[in-house]
Amino acid sequence: MDILKVQDLKKTYGGKGASTVALKGVSFNVEEGEFVGIMGASGSGKTTLLSCIATIDRPTSGSIVIDGGEVTALRPKQLTAFRREKLGFIFQDCNLLDTLTAFENIALALSIRGDHAGNVERKVKETAVLLGIEGCLQKFPYQLSGGQQQRVAAARAIVTNPALILADEPTGALDSKSAGMLLECMEELNEQQGATILMVTHDAFTASWCHRILFLRDGEVYGTLRREGRSRRAFFKDVMAVVAELGGGNSDVL
Amino acid sequence: MFSKLAARNVRRSFKDYSIYFITLVFGVCVFYTFNALEGQSVLRYLSQSQHYIVEGILMLMDVFSVFVSVILAAVILYANTFMMKRRKKELGTYFLLGLPTGKVSALLFLETLLIGILALVVGVVVGVFFSFGLSALSGSLFRVSVDFLKLSFSFKAMGKTVLYFGIMFLLVMIFNGVSVAKCKLIDLIQAERRNEDMKEQSVGKSVVMFLLGVALIVIAYAMLLIRGIFAIDALFLVMLGLGTVGTLLFFRSLSGFVLRVCRGNKGFYYKGLNMFTLRQFNSKIHTTYLSMTAICLMLLLAIGITACSVGLNNTINAMTDEPFDFQIVNYDADKNAVDMAAALKEKGFDTDGELSECLQYTYYYPDEATEEKTGASAVISLSEYNAIMEMMGRPAVTLEDTEPFRDEGALGDVVRIGYVVMRDEQVAALSVRRQVLVGNYAGDIEETEALLMNALENGAVSNDGTFYCHTKLSTYLDLLGSKVLVIFLGLYLGFIFLLASAAVLALQQLSQAADNAKRYAILARLGAEEKLRDRSVFVQVALAFFVPLVLAIVHAIVGMTSANAVIAEVGKLDAAASGAVTAAFLVVIYGAYFIATCLGCKRVARGK
Repeated sequence: MDILKVQDLKKTYGGKGASTVALKGVSFNVEEGEFVGIMGASGSGKTTLLSCIATIDRPTSGSIVIDGGEVTALRPKQLTAFRREKLGFIFQDCNLLDTLTAFENIALALSIRGDHAGNVERKVKETAVLLGIEGCLQKFPYQLSGGQQQRVAAARAIVTNPALILADEPTGALDSKSAGMLLECMEELNEQQGATILMVTHDAFTASWCHRILFLRDGEVYGTLRREGRSRRAFFKDVMAVVAELGGGNSDVL
Repeated sequence: MFSKLAARNVRRSFKDYSIYFITLVFGVCVFYTFNALEGQSVLRYLSQSQHYIVEGILMLMDVFSVFVSVILAAVILYANTFMMKRRKKELGTYFLLGLPTGKVSALLFLETLLIGILALVVGVVVGVFFSFGLSALSGSLFRVSVDFLKLSFSFKAMGKTVLYFGIMFLLVMIFNGVSVAKCKLIDLIQAERRNEDMKEQSVGKSVVMFLLGVALIVIAYAMLLIRGIFAIDALFLVMLGLGTVGTLLFFRSLSGFVLRVCRGNKGFYYKGLNMFTLRQFNSKIHTTYLSMTAICLMLLLAIGITACSVGLNNTINAMTDEPFDFQIVNYDADKNAVDMAAALKEKGFDTDGELSECLQYTYYYPDEATEEKTGASAVISLSEYNAIMEMMGRPAVTLEDTEPFRDEGALGDVVRIGYVVMRDEQVAALSVRRQVLVGNYAGDIEETEALLMNALENGAVSNDGTFYCHTKLSTYLDLLGSKVLVIFLGLYLGFIFLLASAAVLALQQLSQAADNAKRYAILARLGAEEKLRDRSVFVQVALAFFVPLVLAIVHAIVGMTSANAVIAEVGKLDAAASGAVTAAFLVVIYGAYFIATCLGCKRVARGK
């Protein structure tokens, strides 16, 4: 079953005269339980695409269907509820609330949804165990390492059991070791919990953890690469090859 | 181009820094009003009779205006620092674009000038209307007719306001210039990166601190109520110290204590944004508990001063209980007995036409036997005594035997002398000691009194201190004068303290809101609805505004109860009137700041 269906998505910024076309008709599907990556250089439209799927931005035309519901037609109030019920977010700057402990940061996602107070503590603890952060739940974000912070953010994203988890450069601010640990966690979530993940990145190493990678260039889907059971090392090489091709000889793609 | 930039910055300031502008306008308005007091109906009424206190009141207002302008200058500088902090990035951009320091200083100078002129104009205009309001309020308090037409614009007050605020703005300009010259570009550009650590104080500690704080406050209250507010000695200072430290501990630990209690109630803690709101409240307390304590005490002063000054005043309405409109005493009667009514008539005061009643009576020296027996130092005849009683509307007395009748203080004149009443025939033999002329005016009190004073000055009675004239109106004016002084001074200071505390609170909340903007953006992404976020903002601002206020009100109620216990012997502080005026003050000023802060914080939280 398709969790996400994007059909001929177009997005134009600016008005008459000085308009910029960010997306020129993008179409793709994400199935339940998939771990999909979107790659592209700066200005390729990947952030715009994610913003539209995350319902933070509105596309100019086209359709986005998430978990069977068309989101482009929703009104702002419905959108807020939709985000709350169906989506989980992991951002580059992990976006934890600095005044709340790790535990409370995770619990807040449930509180906002209006979950029953009795379930909150149990759910938070279960999720924390899953991500290996049960030891630092009572700490404040500033007391955690960058990797731990990102895993707390990941816990917050999945604790509500969303239909789709959206990750925007989740490893962007992490050193390679922490990045590896976070990606392992995400892989585990995907394999063991059946979480559907859509991750945007410009980093080939991060992208090599995905099952399938969509390459964007100048607002269009340039190509798709499937892992199909290959080792990550082998997949990484393929990704690098496409990235080099995408850059068209420019060495500054990475 | 340059002045255009300044003008545009100012225009933007109105929206972003409405609190700054409100504070300036309120400050100018109050300053103008209380320096234009001579136009007030009550003062005009007093100066009609050329009462000496009018000058005293105006002089005291001058003196206190200096004090008030120091407070206002502090608040304006604080507000300005806050504005500068928020504009760091903008200033950094100017520097980055290559604008020299002098030009940036000049830009800020121009902006301050523009804002200052606008605030002065608006403030003085509002101040004129405020004067009407104050005139109506004081007029009704003192039952003086209010003639709005005569309430004219005071150029003197305006000049003074412009001078004082000009100096304040100059200070602000110098301050800005120095801070611009001192700042480093890197600090300005990186101003948004903040590094605040979130130390969580142990919950157990805050519970202990909270209980200790409450205990100290209760002890201070008990001391105040038992000892009374006017027992000013070493223990009084101890009481003040206990109260202050208790208040400090209360604010230091309140949020931790509340957090602890709320965490126990999971249904509440995990509902909506409650957890976030409580944590926000708690995270700021480390930096704000000192200012919260200062604000609480300042509010206490504002409430106490306003309530007491209004409360003390209500007794004036009973006029005075003096029985006669005027009394003239001849202290020299034993050597020089005169018919005072005749003397007045001779000098042009028509005692028959101008007075409804008039009576001259005599105190005699007692004979030795009477003096020994009663200890009285004067004697008055029965017929004269009864005549006075009749004039005062009291029943006459009869003397059955020759015993002297003692009725201390019943005569109600200013001759404070122990006397006895004796039969006329017994008195006839005694020698004269004092003569007293008492009377009531027939027509208009003020006009008649002016005629009487005129006759006296023309030498109706000798002017060498042996005669003493006392009138009911002069007593009333004395009382009125001192009460007018108390109420105007009270309102002035109360208003300024209230203004200062509300402004500081508002600015603090707004500067925190800038930090909070990112947090609200996260909440929005997590799917918290705007209504939910707005409510969280509202609760946070409300907590910051009303927690110090509530404690200050409790302090004030205890203080006034204690003051009442002492004053009860003389009269009572009028709880209804003082409560109403104080509440009106609070609602208008505090309320205006609260609403402006709420709107400002909401706008920042919405990221607009």
